[in-house]
Amino acid sequence: MGLVTTLPRNETGIETVVGVLKQQLGERLQTSEAIRTQHGHTTTWLENQAPDAVAFVQSTEEVADIVKVCATHKVPIIAFGTGSSLEGHVNAAAGGISIDLSQMNGILDVHPEDLDCVVQPGVTRKALNEYLRDTGLFFPIDPGADASLGGMAATRASGTNAVRYGTMKDNILSLKAVMPDGSIIQTGQRAKKSSAGYDLTRLLIGSEGTLGIITELTLKLHGIPEAMSSATCSFPDLESACNAVIMTIQMGIPVARIELLDALQVKAVNGFSKLSLPEEPLLLLEFHGSEASVAEQSESFGDIADEFGGTGFSWTTSSEERTKLWQARHDAYWASLSLRPGAVGISTDVCVPISRLAECVATTQAKLEELGIMAPIVGHVGDGNFHTLLLIDMEDENEVAAAHEFVSWLNELAISMEGTCTGEHGIGQGKRRYLEKEIGAGVDVIKAIKTAIDPDNIMNPGKII
Amino acid sequence: MLTPKDEQELSEAVLGASDPLRIIGGGTRGVGPGAPNLSTRELTGVTLYEPGALTLVAKSGTPLAEINEHLASEGQMLAFEPSDFRPLLRTEGEPTIGGIVAANESGPRRLAVGACRDFLLGVRFVDGSGNVVKNGGRVMKNVTGYDLVKLLCGSHGTLGILSEVSLKVLPRPETSASLMIYGPTVDEAVGLMARAMGSPYEVTGAAYSSQDMAGHPVVFLRLEGSETQVTGRLSKLRNLLEPFVPTGENYAISELTDVDAVQQQWVSLRDLDEEAGTYRDVWRLSVKPSDAPAICAALPEPNYQLDWAGGRIWAFTEPGTDLRNIIGQFDGHATLIKSASNLPRFHPEPAPLANLSAGLRNQFDPRGILNSGLMG
Ligand SMILES: Cc1cc2nc3c(=O)[nH]c(=O)nc-3n(C[C@H](O)[C@H](O)[C@H](O)COP(=O)(O)OP(=O)(O)OC[C@H]3O[C@@H](n4cnc5c(N)ncnc54)[C@H](O)[C@@H]3O)c2cc1C
Repeated sequence: MGLVTTLPRNETGIETVVGVLKQQLGERLQTSEAIRTQHGHTTTWLENQAPDAVAFVQSTEEVADIVKVCATHKVPIIAFGTGSSLEGHVNAAAGGISIDLSQMNGILDVHPEDLDCVVQPGVTRKALNEYLRDTGLFFPIDPGADASLGGMAATRASGTNAVRYGTMKDNILSLKAVMPDGSIIQTGQRAKKSSAGYDLTRLLIGSEGTLGIITELTLKLHGIPEAMSSATCSFPDLESACNAVIMTIQMGIPVARIELLDALQVKAVNGFSKLSLPEEPLLLLEFHGSEASVAEQSESFGDIADEFGGTGFSWTTSSEERTKLWQARHDAYWASLSLRPGAVGISTDVCVPISRLAECVATTQAKLEELGIMAPIVGHVGDGNFHTLLLIDMEDENEVAAAHEFVSWLNELAISMEGTCTGEHGIGQGKRRYLEKEIGAGVDVIKAIKTAIDPDNIMNPGKII
Repeated sequence: MLTPKDEQELSEAVLGASDPLRIIGGGTRGVGPGAPNLSTRELTGVTLYEPGALTLVAKSGTPLAEINEHLASEGQMLAFEPSDFRPLLRTEGEPTIGGIVAANESGPRRLAVGACRDFLLGVRFVDGSGNVVKNGGRVMKNVTGYDLVKLLCGSHGTLGILSEVSLKVLPRPETSASLMIYGPTVDEAVGLMARAMGSPYEVTGAAYSSQDMAGHPVVFLRLEGSETQVTGRLSKLRNLLEPFVPTGENYAISELTDVDAVQQQWVSLRDLDEEAGTYRDVWRLSVKPSDAPAICAALPEPNYQLDWAGGRIWAFTEPGTDLRNIIGQFDGHATLIKSASNLPRFHPEPAPLANLSAGLRNQFDPRGILNSGLMG
């Protein structure tokens, strides 16, 4: 497929390290084919490049010990959270050791008075919110998968709440990490403005496991709002829906979520989640605040929707109805796959200035039609970010070729609109070739940083650059 | 003084420099040791303003005042509320947007909406070898590799000289109001502020002055939003907190609802107006809010102001006092903002972090000419 590069392997180093780690970890070092494959890339269409062994680690010190062994023998290390990343992030391009952090799943401390908590990287976002339920606090970042918080930090993930609560970069106060030489660093304290020097916390956030392994996170928490309401509204076309979004944002209505589904996506969701939404472009919104403020926000949005030809506007504070709607939104990926059983889903992830959004989405739909590709569209439109999920029969060469053509066409369209090829999924292996187009000389700076911190290139080689 | 007029000239100035560069924007904060010899003040102008997309792009030397004017004409603002320390530091000149970004300078509203860094969508800069680098841009989020935008923000000109910044802006709230609680000790104040922040009433400012002009300790809480909203939330917040305010003649609660007066009050808290006339040193401590009372108790004199519900302490000390020695180890760090002494401005980093920082600096600025020595 041309996207996955295989890098030279250090056979002797790998053999030695596997031997040493077997001694140290016993059963917690696994080399069976099934487990190794499961820790290579599994989601979407990139080829699987399995690691040589998987270490199920239990503490920061243990991670540091493993990294030291790998550093001595210059053997690659690939951190693994839940493996839900979409661009080949966990593939072992040069072989090496996968460090599975799922057993480091402790919630170490919750400080309601400071609105923060300290967790291990293997805790998943749902497990954390489950745990927090009785405290009246929550962690807002909700990518479609129940990802690990370490993986979410490493990919700078975001979700449906980003318009109001930001992304991972806005919700991490400090990190503990094992660096490529095996040293353990703490990037800041729990103090709000955490760094005395450079922002090393945010350098690690989004570094995709290429600079260090995150072994502890201090996260910012938010109070569960007194009231929440959800609203839906249909629009005659995508452009009107996008314009309603722009107006909502510009008016300063503090929406918590504002998601766009195109007609095909609505159809998929209706079928999968047993809903009966009109099969037209739809905006799905959520408002957070006090009782009075969510009512006011909902109604102000209703007025705006009206102005742009919205129909069937309705809103509710019933938690049952809200949960049903948002569960349906979160299941959009699975709903889409059900439109064409047997097809593989390939997700794009462009993000453009919101003023170009309507144009970008419309052009995208036209292109899909031209190429005859079935691909529902769903977007975190408050941020200008949307996904098309191409449903491709991988056996059909023509379809695969059309998919390739479409993906690069769309990424370049976004870049030409001063946007980005990836708003939340990251570069991994799949998008490396767009990085240079997008940031030019910035690539050299990224390389320089990588060289300064990981001179032997043992941390997740072959990713980002 | 070098005053490049565009990115090209800036790049040439850096390439041609054989001696260390001391970089300033408007020169309102000083750059520590050495006289400034490069200013970005001629790199000026708003290059793009799209109110509908909440985005503004400006050259780094653009005066803050000019940016605020643009934004005000569309009812928008820089939500992170950068301070104006000219009266405090007795400096002149115009604060520039590049200087604010280089210092990651944020005021009271940070606790509700985020820091300067969180509103920074993109940067263009010239590194220590004269390369022009761009990162981020106009989109609200991207995950294209390492976040150079955040790295440059708060790097005080030691990794690169900013030439352009791209910012997310927000609509200006229709109105604002303050709730003042007179009398609380610092312990009580931090408790009240935590309660207010944990409430659903969307508090956008939580400050405490150990002594106001009349010598009283006061908690200030700010609410912003639409007219009807703010009135409703103000009385709810008051009802929520009243039971936790001790009774006694020193204690009182009052409200301020005149929007101009509220604005003035928060500008004054933000810029540390009451401290402007004194000769004392000014320290800025970043701490966990719940640690603030103990740290305040350890200060040599009880002169301080809290912001961010206690997460930021402004401490005012006799000139030359090394506060870092006095309060010892704590979870946070202390930055010296105003001083006649030559104590280091920045808190020394622990060795492993200092090594990483030095490694980064060496990559961005191999010749060590950009504000060298300022951050270690
Ligand atoms: C159905 C579906 C929906 C999705 N929706 C979204 C969405 O809405 N928003 C979004 O942002 N993403 C989304 N994603 C992508 C994915 O869920 C995110 O990228 C997520 O953050 C990955 O977390 P993970 O635990 O699975 O990490 P993994 O896939 O295991 O790892 C991802 C990368 O991070 C590194 N890594 C993992 N843990 C650590 C660690 N502790 N220290 C250092 N590096 C580490 C890995 O080496 C790898 O490079 C979706 C994926 C799917 C399958």
